[in-house]
Amino acid sequence: MFKFLAALSIAAVVSGQARTPDGQPDIQGMYTRNGVVGLEAKPPTNPIDPSGNNPLSVSNRGDGLGPYPGIFGQGGSVLRTAGRQQRRTGIVDPADKNLPWRPEEDAKRRDFLLHMNPPVDLRHVELNARCTLPGLFQGEDGNNPYQFLQRAGSVVILYDYNHTSRIIHLDGRPHLGKDIRLFMGDSIGRWEGNTLIVDTTNFNDRTSYSREIPYLSDSLHTTERFTIADANTIDYEVTIDDPKLFTAPWKTAGYFTRVPKGVESLEFACAEGSQTLLNIFGKPPEAR
Amino acid sequence: MKDLQFAIVLCAAGFAARGQDLNGIWQALNTAAWDLQDHTGQLGVPPGQGVVEGNEIPYMPWAAAKKKENFASRKTADPAEANCYLPGVPRATYMPYPFEIVQTPKLVAMRYEFAHATRNIPMDGSPHPDGLPGAWMGDSRGRWDGKTLVVDVSNFNDQTWFDGAGNFHSDMLHVVERYTPIDSSHITYEATIEDPKVFTKPWKISMPLYRIVDPKATLLEYECVFYLQEEKFKAAPFRK
Repeated sequence: MFKFLAALSIAAVVSGQARTPDGQPDIQGMYTRNGVVGLEAKPPTNPIDPSGNNPLSVSNRGDGLGPYPGIFGQGGSVLRTAGRQQRRTGIVDPADKNLPWRPEEDAKRRDFLLHMNPPVDLRHVELNARCTLPGLFQGEDGNNPYQFLQRAGSVVILYDYNHTSRIIHLDGRPHLGKDIRLFMGDSIGRWEGNTLIVDTTNFNDRTSYSREIPYLSDSLHTTERFTIADANTIDYEVTIDDPKLFTAPWKTAGYFTRVPKGVESLEFACAEGSQTLLNIFGKPPEAR
Repeated sequence: MKDLQFAIVLCAAGFAARGQDLNGIWQALNTAAWDLQDHTGQLGVPPGQGVVEGNEIPYMPWAAAKKKENFASRKTADPAEANCYLPGVPRATYMPYPFEIVQTPKLVAMRYEFAHATRNIPMDGSPHPDGLPGAWMGDSRGRWDGKTLVVDVSNFNDQTWFDGAGNFHSDMLHVVERYTPIDSSHITYEATIEDPKVFTKPWKISMPLYRIVDPKATLLEYECVFYLQEEKFKAAPFRK
Protein backbone atom coordinates (compact mmCIF):
# COMPACT_ATOMS: atom_id res chain seq x y z
CA MET A 1 0.00 0.00 0.00
CA PHE A 2 2.73 2.44 0.99
CA LYS A 3 4.75 1.49 -2.06
CA PHE A 4 1.73 2.22 -4.20
CA LEU A 5 1.25 5.60 -2.50
CA ALA A 6 4.94 6.34 -2.82
CA ALA A 7 4.90 5.57 -6.53
CA LEU A 8 1.91 7.83 -7.06
CA SER A 9 3.47 10.58 -4.99
CA ILE A 10 6.76 10.39 -6.84
CA ALA A 11 4.90 10.68 -10.12
CA ALA A 12 3.17 13.70 -8.65
CA VAL A 13 6.45 15.29 -7.58
CA VAL A 14 7.83 14.76 -11.06
CA SER A 15 4.78 16.33 -12.71
CA GLY A 16 4.73 19.21 -10.22
CA GLN A 17 1.12 18.55 -9.20
CA ALA A 18 0.18 18.27 -5.52
CA ARG A 19 -1.60 15.01 -4.70
CA THR A 20 -3.83 13.71 -1.96
CA PRO A 21 -2.64 10.61 -0.04
CA ASP A 22 -4.68 8.36 -2.35
CA GLY A 23 -3.11 9.92 -5.43
CA GLN A 24 -5.77 12.34 -6.69
CA PRO A 25 -4.67 15.73 -7.98
CA ASP A 26 -5.26 18.01 -4.98
CA ILE A 27 -8.21 20.30 -5.71
CA GLN A 28 -9.03 21.05 -2.06
CA GLY A 29 -9.73 24.52 -0.77
CA MET A 30 -12.35 27.22 -0.61
CA TYR A 31 -13.31 29.01 -3.79
CA THR A 32 -15.91 31.38 -5.18
CA ARG A 33 -17.58 30.49 -8.46
CA ASN A 34 -17.95 32.93 -11.32
CA GLY A 35 -19.60 33.15 -14.69
CA VAL A 36 -21.40 29.80 -14.90
CA VAL A 37 -24.87 31.25 -15.43
CA GLY A 38 -25.04 33.26 -18.65
CA LEU A 39 -27.57 34.67 -21.09
CA GLU A 40 -28.71 33.22 -24.38
CA ALA A 41 -28.43 35.17 -27.63
CA LYS A 42 -32.11 36.12 -27.53
CA PRO A 43 -33.16 35.83 -23.90
CA PRO A 44 -36.86 35.93 -23.11
CA THR A 45 -38.51 38.84 -21.35
CA ASN A 46 -37.80 38.05 -17.75
CA PRO A 47 -40.26 39.36 -15.19
CA ILE A 48 -38.31 38.03 -12.22
CA ASP A 49 -35.13 39.98 -12.88
CA PRO A 50 -35.12 42.37 -9.91
CA SER A 51 -32.93 44.94 -11.59
CA GLY A 52 -34.32 48.45 -11.22
CA ASN A 53 -34.85 49.08 -14.91
CA ASN A 54 -37.06 46.05 -15.54
CA PRO A 55 -40.59 47.42 -16.10
CA LEU A 56 -42.11 43.95 -15.61
CA SER A 57 -40.56 43.39 -12.23
CA VAL A 58 -42.68 43.76 -9.12
CA SER A 59 -39.76 42.73 -6.94
CA ASN A 60 -38.58 46.24 -6.31
CA ARG A 61 -41.07 47.27 -3.66
CA GLY A 62 -39.83 49.88 -1.24
CA ASP A 63 -40.71 47.72 1.76
CA GLY A 64 -38.45 44.92 0.57
CA LEU A 65 -41.33 42.42 0.66
CA GLY A 66 -41.49 41.67 -3.05
CA PRO A 67 -41.78 38.00 -3.85
CA TYR A 68 -38.17 37.66 -4.87
CA PRO A 69 -35.47 39.10 -2.66
CA GLY A 70 -32.89 40.99 -4.69
CA ILE A 71 -30.03 38.89 -3.32
CA PHE A 72 -30.89 35.90 -5.47
CA GLY A 73 -28.90 35.87 -8.66
CA GLN A 74 -27.06 39.04 -7.77
CA GLY A 75 -23.52 37.68 -7.71
CA GLY A 76 -21.44 39.91 -5.48
CA SER A 77 -17.81 40.74 -5.74
CA VAL A 78 -16.39 41.07 -2.24
CA LEU A 79 -14.44 37.82 -2.39
CA ARG A 80 -13.62 37.95 -6.06
CA THR A 81 -9.92 38.20 -6.72
CA ALA A 82 -9.13 41.28 -8.73
CA GLY A 83 -7.13 41.12 -11.90
CA ARG A 84 -7.95 37.56 -13.01
CA GLN A 85 -7.08 36.93 -16.59
CA GLN A 86 -10.04 36.67 -18.92
CA ARG A 87 -11.60 33.19 -18.67
CA ARG A 88 -14.44 31.48 -20.53
CA THR A 89 -17.83 32.20 -18.94
CA GLY A 90 -21.50 31.68 -19.68
CA ILE A 91 -22.81 29.81 -22.70
CA VAL A 92 -19.77 28.77 -24.77
CA ASP A 93 -21.27 26.20 -27.13
CA PRO A 94 -22.92 27.01 -29.47
CA ALA A 95 -20.58 29.97 -29.97
CA ASP A 96 -23.44 32.23 -31.09
CA LYS A 97 -25.34 31.40 -27.84
CA ASN A 98 -28.45 30.34 -29.77
CA LEU A 99 -29.50 27.33 -27.72
CA PRO A 100 -30.87 24.27 -29.54
CA TRP A 101 -34.35 24.58 -28.01
CA ARG A 102 -37.16 22.39 -29.19
CA PRO A 103 -39.40 25.21 -30.48
CA GLU A 104 -42.46 24.08 -28.53
CA GLU A 105 -40.42 23.84 -25.31
CA ASP A 106 -38.92 27.29 -25.85
CA ALA A 107 -42.43 28.69 -26.27
CA LYS A 108 -43.57 26.89 -23.10
CA ARG A 109 -40.80 28.30 -20.92
CA ARG A 110 -41.31 31.84 -22.30
CA ASP A 111 -44.94 31.55 -21.32
CA PHE A 112 -44.00 30.01 -17.96
CA LEU A 113 -41.81 33.03 -17.17
CA LEU A 114 -44.71 35.40 -17.74
CA HIS A 115 -46.61 33.64 -14.94
CA MET A 116 -43.82 33.84 -12.38
CA ASN A 117 -44.18 37.38 -11.11
CA PRO A 118 -46.49 37.38 -9.36
CA PRO A 119 -46.57 33.58 -9.39
CA VAL A 120 -49.91 32.12 -10.43
CA ASP A 121 -49.34 29.01 -8.33
CA LEU A 122 -46.65 27.18 -6.37
CA ARG A 123 -45.15 25.62 -9.49
CA HIS A 124 -44.37 29.11 -10.81
CA VAL A 125 -42.42 30.29 -7.76
CA GLU A 126 -38.72 30.68 -8.46
CA LEU A 127 -37.05 27.61 -6.94
CA ASN A 128 -34.35 29.56 -5.10
CA ALA A 129 -37.06 31.55 -3.35
CA ARG A 130 -38.39 28.24 -1.97
CA CYS A 131 -35.01 27.37 -0.43
CA THR A 132 -34.80 24.10 -2.32
CA LEU A 133 -31.45 22.51 -3.09
CA PRO A 134 -30.11 24.56 -6.02
CA GLY A 135 -29.07 21.90 -8.51
CA LEU A 136 -25.73 22.34 -10.23
CA PHE A 137 -26.18 25.86 -11.59
CA GLN A 138 -28.06 28.02 -9.10
CA GLY A 139 -25.71 27.63 -6.12
CA GLU A 140 -24.55 31.16 -6.84
CA ASP A 141 -21.90 32.91 -8.85
CA GLY A 142 -20.38 35.48 -6.56
CA ASN A 143 -19.77 35.66 -2.87
CA ASN A 144 -20.98 32.49 -1.19
CA PRO A 145 -17.97 30.18 -1.31
CA TYR A 146 -17.63 26.51 -2.21
CA GLN A 147 -15.32 24.23 -0.24
CA PHE A 148 -13.78 21.24 -2.02
CA LEU A 149 -12.77 18.28 0.19
CA GLN A 150 -11.13 15.06 -0.94
CA ARG A 151 -10.67 11.64 0.55
CA ALA A 152 -10.10 8.18 -0.86
CA GLY A 153 -12.88 7.44 -3.32
CA SER A 154 -14.70 10.74 -3.44
CA VAL A 155 -14.69 14.50 -3.79
CA VAL A 156 -17.15 16.43 -1.62
CA ILE A 157 -18.21 20.00 -2.35
CA LEU A 158 -19.74 22.00 0.49
CA TYR A 159 -21.58 25.12 -0.62
CA ASP A 160 -22.04 28.10 1.62
CA TYR A 161 -25.30 28.68 -0.27
CA ASN A 162 -28.23 27.12 1.59
CA HIS A 163 -25.89 24.62 3.35
CA THR A 164 -25.88 22.54 0.18
CA SER A 165 -23.39 19.74 -0.34
CA ARG A 166 -22.72 17.16 -3.03
CA ILE A 167 -20.60 14.07 -3.25
CA ILE A 168 -18.83 12.86 -6.38
CA HIS A 169 -18.09 9.15 -6.16
CA LEU A 170 -14.80 8.04 -7.73
CA ASP A 171 -15.10 4.35 -6.87
CA GLY A 172 -16.56 3.24 -10.17
CA ARG A 173 -20.05 2.52 -8.85
CA PRO A 174 -22.99 2.68 -11.26
CA HIS A 175 -25.65 5.42 -11.17
CA LEU A 176 -28.68 5.05 -8.90
CA GLY A 177 -31.83 3.36 -10.16
CA LYS A 178 -33.97 5.56 -12.40
CA ASP A 179 -36.80 5.95 -9.90
CA ILE A 180 -34.57 7.84 -7.42
CA ARG A 181 -34.73 11.52 -8.35
CA LEU A 182 -32.62 14.24 -6.75
CA PHE A 183 -32.21 18.01 -6.87
CA MET A 184 -28.43 17.58 -6.94
CA GLY A 185 -28.44 14.48 -9.13
CA ASP A 186 -26.22 11.43 -8.71
CA SER A 187 -22.58 12.21 -9.53
CA ILE A 188 -19.93 9.74 -10.65
CA GLY A 189 -16.47 11.10 -11.41
CA ARG A 190 -12.99 10.23 -12.61
CA TRP A 191 -9.71 12.06 -12.96
CA GLU A 192 -8.12 12.53 -16.36
CA GLY A 193 -4.83 14.32 -15.77
CA ASN A 194 -5.65 17.52 -13.92
CA THR A 195 -9.32 17.38 -14.88
CA LEU A 196 -12.08 15.91 -12.74
CA ILE A 197 -14.82 14.71 -15.09
CA VAL A 198 -18.22 14.24 -13.45
CA ASP A 199 -21.20 12.48 -14.98
CA THR A 200 -24.50 13.32 -13.27
CA THR A 201 -27.94 11.82 -13.82
CA ASN A 202 -31.08 11.11 -11.73
CA PHE A 203 -32.13 14.77 -11.59
CA ASN A 204 -35.69 15.62 -10.70
CA ASP A 205 -37.46 18.22 -12.85
CA ARG A 206 -37.04 20.90 -10.18
CA THR A 207 -33.72 22.50 -10.98
CA SER A 208 -33.03 25.49 -13.15
CA TYR A 209 -30.16 26.92 -15.16
CA SER A 210 -30.90 30.61 -14.70
CA ARG A 211 -33.68 33.13 -14.22
CA GLU A 212 -34.33 32.89 -17.96
CA ILE A 213 -34.29 29.08 -18.02
CA PRO A 214 -36.39 28.47 -14.90
CA TYR A 215 -36.54 24.71 -15.15
CA LEU A 216 -34.70 21.79 -16.69
CA SER A 217 -36.32 18.40 -17.15
CA ASP A 218 -35.77 15.01 -15.53
CA SER A 219 -33.98 13.91 -18.71
CA LEU A 220 -31.10 16.23 -17.77
CA HIS A 221 -27.67 14.63 -17.97
CA THR A 222 -24.64 16.76 -17.23
CA THR A 223 -20.94 16.25 -17.84
CA GLU A 224 -18.81 18.63 -15.78
CA ARG A 225 -15.10 19.25 -16.22
CA PHE A 226 -13.21 20.77 -13.27
CA THR A 227 -9.68 21.55 -14.52
CA ILE A 228 -6.99 22.68 -12.10
CA ALA A 229 -5.60 25.63 -14.08
CA ASP A 230 -3.20 26.99 -11.48
CA ALA A 231 -2.79 27.03 -7.69
CA ASN A 232 -5.72 29.43 -7.29
CA THR A 233 -8.02 28.66 -10.22
CA ILE A 234 -10.26 25.85 -11.38
CA ASP A 235 -11.68 26.16 -14.89
CA TYR A 236 -15.19 24.73 -15.11
CA GLU A 237 -17.23 23.58 -18.09
CA VAL A 238 -20.56 21.76 -18.12
CA THR A 239 -22.23 19.95 -21.00
CA ILE A 240 -25.99 20.17 -20.57
CA ASP A 241 -27.80 17.36 -22.32
CA ASP A 242 -31.55 17.55 -21.78
CA PRO A 243 -33.25 15.85 -24.73
CA LYS A 244 -36.78 16.67 -23.55
CA LEU A 245 -36.03 20.41 -23.90
CA PHE A 246 -33.17 20.62 -26.43
CA THR A 247 -32.35 18.88 -29.70
CA ALA A 248 -28.62 18.81 -28.92
CA PRO A 249 -26.29 19.24 -25.92
CA TRP A 250 -24.90 22.70 -25.16
CA LYS A 251 -22.14 23.96 -22.92
CA THR A 252 -21.69 26.58 -20.25
CA ALA A 253 -18.39 27.57 -18.61
CA GLY A 254 -17.07 29.48 -15.65
CA TYR A 255 -14.29 29.28 -13.11
CA PHE A 256 -13.57 28.94 -9.42
CA THR A 257 -11.14 31.32 -7.69
CA ARG A 258 -9.49 30.48 -4.37
CA VAL A 259 -10.59 32.85 -1.60
CA PRO A 260 -8.11 34.63 0.69
CA LYS A 261 -6.91 32.68 3.74
CA GLY A 262 -9.06 33.02 6.83
CA VAL A 263 -12.45 32.98 5.09
CA GLU A 264 -14.83 30.52 6.76
CA SER A 265 -18.26 29.35 5.71
CA LEU A 266 -21.04 30.59 7.99
CA GLU A 267 -24.50 29.12 8.38
CA PHE A 268 -26.85 30.00 5.50
CA ALA A 269 -30.24 29.12 6.98
CA CYS A 270 -32.78 29.75 4.21
CA ALA A 271 -36.18 28.22 4.94
CA GLU A 272 -36.14 28.93 8.67
CA GLY A 273 -38.51 31.81 9.23
CA SER A 274 -38.94 32.52 5.52
CA GLN A 275 -42.20 34.40 4.83
CA THR A 276 -41.86 34.26 1.04
CA LEU A 277 -44.74 31.93 0.24
CA LEU A 278 -47.04 33.55 2.81
CA ASN A 279 -46.29 36.96 1.29
CA ILE A 280 -47.04 35.69 -2.20
CA PHE A 281 -50.09 33.52 -1.57
CA GLY A 282 -51.53 34.43 1.80
CA LYS A 283 -52.12 31.96 4.60
CA PRO A 284 -53.20 28.40 3.81
CA PRO A 285 -56.76 27.91 5.13
CA GLU A 286 -55.83 25.37 7.84
CA ALA A 287 -53.32 27.81 9.34
CA ARG A 288 -55.77 30.72 9.66
CA MET B 1 14.91 8.47 -4.23
CA LYS B 2 14.98 6.14 -1.18
CA ASP B 3 14.93 9.12 1.19
CA LEU B 4 11.97 10.56 -0.65
CA GLN B 5 10.12 7.25 -0.40
CA PHE B 6 10.87 7.08 3.32
CA ALA B 7 9.60 10.63 3.81
CA ILE B 8 6.42 9.80 1.93
CA VAL B 9 5.82 6.68 4.05
CA LEU B 10 6.27 8.82 7.18
CA CYS B 11 3.76 11.34 5.85
CA ALA B 12 1.23 8.62 5.12
CA ALA B 13 1.72 7.12 8.59
CA GLY B 14 1.33 10.56 10.16
CA PHE B 15 -1.92 11.08 8.29
CA ALA B 16 -3.28 7.79 9.65
CA ALA B 17 -2.15 8.62 13.22
CA ARG B 18 -4.11 11.87 13.35
CA GLY B 19 -7.12 9.88 14.45
CA GLN B 20 -9.36 7.01 13.59
CA ASP B 21 -10.92 6.98 10.15
CA LEU B 22 -14.53 8.01 10.75
CA ASN B 23 -15.24 8.54 7.04
CA GLY B 24 -18.50 7.03 5.96
CA ILE B 25 -22.25 6.97 6.48
CA TRP B 26 -23.61 6.48 10.03
CA GLN B 27 -26.97 6.29 11.71
CA ALA B 28 -28.37 6.01 15.22
CA LEU B 29 -30.81 3.14 15.69
CA ASN B 30 -32.90 4.32 18.60
CA THR B 31 -35.91 6.51 19.39
CA ALA B 32 -34.06 9.54 20.78
CA ALA B 33 -35.39 11.75 17.98
CA TRP B 34 -38.91 11.24 19.37
CA ASP B 35 -37.97 11.43 23.04
CA LEU B 36 -34.54 11.42 24.72
CA GLN B 37 -36.00 9.85 27.84
CA ASP B 38 -37.66 6.52 28.58
CA HIS B 39 -41.07 6.47 26.91
CA THR B 40 -43.97 4.18 26.05
CA GLY B 41 -45.19 3.82 22.48
CA GLN B 42 -47.94 6.08 21.10
CA LEU B 43 -49.50 6.43 17.68
CA GLY B 44 -46.58 7.33 15.43
CA VAL B 45 -44.05 7.23 18.27
CA PRO B 46 -41.96 4.08 18.65
CA PRO B 47 -41.32 3.12 22.29
CA GLY B 48 -37.81 3.39 23.60
CA GLN B 49 -35.35 3.37 26.41
CA GLY B 50 -33.83 6.77 27.02
CA VAL B 51 -30.34 7.93 26.12
CA VAL B 52 -29.98 10.41 29.01
CA GLU B 53 -27.54 9.33 31.70
CA GLY B 54 -29.74 8.76 34.79
CA ASN B 55 -32.85 9.47 32.61
CA GLU B 56 -33.58 12.83 34.31
CA ILE B 57 -32.94 16.19 32.63
CA PRO B 58 -32.08 18.82 35.29
CA TYR B 59 -34.47 21.60 34.24
CA MET B 60 -34.90 24.73 36.30
CA PRO B 61 -38.52 24.92 37.53
CA TRP B 62 -39.64 27.48 34.89
CA ALA B 63 -37.98 25.39 32.18
CA ALA B 64 -39.68 22.17 33.33
CA ALA B 65 -43.01 23.99 32.87
CA LYS B 66 -41.95 25.21 29.43
CA LYS B 67 -40.97 21.67 28.42
CA LYS B 68 -44.50 20.52 29.33
CA GLU B 69 -46.00 23.27 27.15
CA ASN B 70 -43.73 22.24 24.30
CA PHE B 71 -44.84 18.62 24.69
CA ALA B 72 -48.48 19.63 24.55
CA SER B 73 -48.02 21.62 21.32
CA ARG B 74 -45.44 19.32 19.72
CA LYS B 75 -47.55 18.35 16.70
CA THR B 76 -47.28 21.88 15.29
CA ALA B 77 -44.43 23.36 17.33
CA ASP B 78 -41.65 20.80 16.85
CA PRO B 79 -39.12 22.87 14.88
CA ALA B 80 -37.70 19.89 12.98
CA GLU B 81 -40.54 17.41 12.45
CA ALA B 82 -43.44 19.87 12.11
CA ASN B 83 -41.61 22.80 10.52
CA CYS B 84 -38.64 21.24 8.74
CA TYR B 85 -36.13 23.63 10.31
CA LEU B 86 -32.49 22.68 10.75
CA PRO B 87 -32.42 20.12 13.56
CA GLY B 88 -29.58 21.56 15.67
CA VAL B 89 -26.95 19.63 17.61
CA PRO B 90 -27.05 16.97 18.98
CA ARG B 91 -30.49 16.18 17.44
CA ALA B 92 -29.06 16.02 13.90
CA THR B 93 -27.01 13.01 14.96
CA TYR B 94 -29.97 10.85 15.99
CA MET B 95 -32.67 11.95 13.58
CA PRO B 96 -33.98 8.77 11.92
CA TYR B 97 -31.95 9.50 8.78
CA PRO B 98 -28.33 8.68 7.94
CA PHE B 99 -25.51 11.20 8.02
CA GLU B 100 -22.04 11.21 6.53
CA ILE B 101 -18.71 12.10 8.09
CA VAL B 102 -16.20 13.54 5.63
CA GLN B 103 -12.86 13.51 7.41
CA THR B 104 -9.83 15.45 6.21
CA PRO B 105 -6.85 16.59 8.30
CA LYS B 106 -7.86 20.27 8.43
CA LEU B 107 -11.63 20.00 8.34
CA VAL B 108 -14.22 17.41 9.27
CA ALA B 109 -17.56 17.95 7.57
CA MET B 110 -20.86 16.33 8.48
CA ARG B 111 -23.65 16.00 5.94
CA TYR B 112 -27.11 15.03 7.16
CA GLU B 113 -29.79 13.57 4.92
CA PHE B 114 -32.53 15.38 6.89
CA ALA B 115 -33.05 18.86 5.40
CA HIS B 116 -29.58 18.68 3.78
CA ALA B 117 -28.11 20.04 7.00
CA THR B 118 -24.32 20.35 7.13
CA ARG B 119 -21.65 21.18 9.67
CA ASN B 120 -18.11 22.35 9.03
CA ILE B 121 -15.76 21.39 11.87
CA PRO B 122 -12.35 23.09 11.62
CA MET B 123 -9.59 20.91 13.14
CA ASP B 124 -6.93 23.63 13.16
CA GLY B 125 -7.23 24.66 16.80
CA SER B 126 -9.07 27.86 15.93
CA PRO B 127 -11.45 29.30 18.56
CA HIS B 128 -15.18 29.95 18.19
CA PRO B 129 -15.54 33.32 16.46
CA ASP B 130 -16.94 36.24 18.43
CA GLY B 131 -19.86 38.42 17.52
CA LEU B 132 -21.79 36.17 15.15
CA PRO B 133 -25.54 35.76 15.36
CA GLY B 134 -26.65 32.47 16.93
CA ALA B 135 -26.89 29.61 14.44
CA TRP B 136 -29.33 26.69 14.12
CA MET B 137 -26.44 24.20 13.98
CA GLY B 138 -24.13 26.25 16.21
CA ASP B 139 -20.42 26.78 15.57
CA SER B 140 -18.29 23.63 15.77
CA ARG B 141 -14.56 23.32 16.50
CA GLY B 142 -12.92 19.89 16.63
CA ARG B 143 -9.83 18.15 17.96
CA TRP B 144 -8.57 14.60 18.38
CA ASP B 145 -8.26 13.10 21.86
CA GLY B 146 -6.49 9.87 20.97
CA LYS B 147 -8.97 7.97 18.82
CA THR B 148 -11.86 10.21 19.85
CA LEU B 149 -13.13 13.10 17.76
CA VAL B 150 -14.11 15.83 20.23
CA VAL B 151 -16.30 18.64 18.93
CA ASP B 152 -17.05 21.75 20.94
CA VAL B 153 -20.26 23.40 19.74
CA SER B 154 -21.54 26.82 20.84
CA ASN B 155 -23.04 29.98 19.33
CA PHE B 156 -26.51 28.44 19.03
CA ASN B 157 -29.81 30.25 18.63
CA ASP B 158 -32.68 29.30 20.97
CA GLN B 159 -34.94 27.82 18.26
CA THR B 160 -34.19 24.09 18.13
CA TRP B 161 -35.40 21.21 20.29
CA PHE B 162 -33.43 18.15 21.39
CA ASP B 163 -36.27 15.82 20.41
CA GLY B 164 -39.93 15.59 19.43
CA ALA B 165 -41.03 15.64 23.09
CA GLY B 166 -40.25 19.32 23.57
CA ASN B 167 -36.88 19.12 25.33
CA PHE B 168 -35.30 22.50 24.63
CA HIS B 169 -32.48 24.93 25.36
CA SER B 170 -31.58 28.62 25.18
CA ASP B 171 -28.96 30.51 23.19
CA MET B 172 -26.52 29.74 26.03
CA LEU B 173 -26.39 26.09 24.96
CA HIS B 174 -22.94 24.56 24.89
CA VAL B 175 -22.49 20.99 23.64
CA VAL B 176 -19.34 18.87 23.76
CA GLU B 177 -19.59 15.82 21.53
CA ARG B 178 -17.30 12.80 21.66
CA TYR B 179 -17.20 10.33 18.75
CA THR B 180 -15.22 7.30 19.97
CA PRO B 181 -14.79 4.39 17.55
CA ILE B 182 -15.46 0.98 19.13
CA ASP B 183 -14.48 -0.90 15.97
CA SER B 184 -14.51 -0.05 12.27
CA SER B 185 -18.33 -0.09 12.12
CA HIS B 186 -19.42 1.32 15.49
CA ILE B 187 -18.97 4.62 17.29
CA THR B 188 -19.92 5.52 20.84
CA TYR B 189 -21.48 8.97 20.62
CA GLU B 190 -21.63 11.09 23.75
CA ALA B 191 -22.85 14.66 24.11
CA THR B 192 -22.50 16.74 27.26
CA ILE B 193 -25.09 19.49 27.36
CA GLU B 194 -24.89 22.63 29.44
CA ASP B 195 -27.07 25.71 29.42
CA PRO B 196 -27.02 27.86 32.55
CA LYS B 197 -30.29 29.58 31.56
CA VAL B 198 -32.26 26.31 31.38
CA PHE B 199 -30.53 23.54 33.35
CA THR B 200 -29.27 23.43 36.94
CA LYS B 201 -26.23 21.38 35.91
CA PRO B 202 -24.70 19.76 32.82
CA TRP B 203 -26.18 16.45 31.66
CA LYS B 204 -25.16 13.82 29.20
CA ILE B 205 -26.56 11.56 26.50
CA SER B 206 -24.82 8.59 24.92
CA MET B 207 -25.67 6.03 22.25
CA PRO B 208 -24.01 3.82 19.68
CA LEU B 209 -23.84 4.91 16.04
CA TYR B 210 -23.82 2.25 13.34
CA ARG B 211 -21.93 2.40 10.06
CA ILE B 212 -24.06 1.77 6.98
CA VAL B 213 -21.87 -0.97 5.53
CA ASP B 214 -23.78 -1.43 2.27
CA PRO B 215 -21.10 -0.57 -0.35
CA LYS B 216 -23.69 1.15 -2.55
CA ALA B 217 -24.88 3.45 0.24
CA THR B 218 -24.92 7.16 -0.53
CA LEU B 219 -26.85 9.99 1.09
CA LEU B 220 -30.06 10.78 -0.76
CA GLU B 221 -32.24 13.84 -0.20
CA TYR B 222 -34.98 14.32 2.38
CA GLU B 223 -36.14 17.78 1.31
CA CYS B 224 -38.50 18.39 4.19
CA VAL B 225 -39.07 22.08 3.39
CA PHE B 226 -40.00 21.35 -0.22
CA TYR B 227 -42.43 18.56 0.72
CA LEU B 228 -44.07 20.75 3.37
CA GLN B 229 -44.51 23.60 0.88
CA GLU B 230 -46.01 21.22 -1.67
CA GLU B 231 -48.54 20.14 0.94
CA LYS B 232 -49.39 23.53 2.45
CA PHE B 233 -49.47 25.56 -0.75
CA LYS B 234 -50.78 23.05 -3.28
CA ALA B 235 -54.06 24.99 -3.60
CA ALA B 236 -52.38 28.43 -3.63
CA PRO B 237 -53.05 31.25 -4.20
CA PHE B 238 -55.48 31.68 -1.32
CA ARG B 239 -58.07 34.45 -1.12
CA LYS B 240 -57.14 36.79 1.70
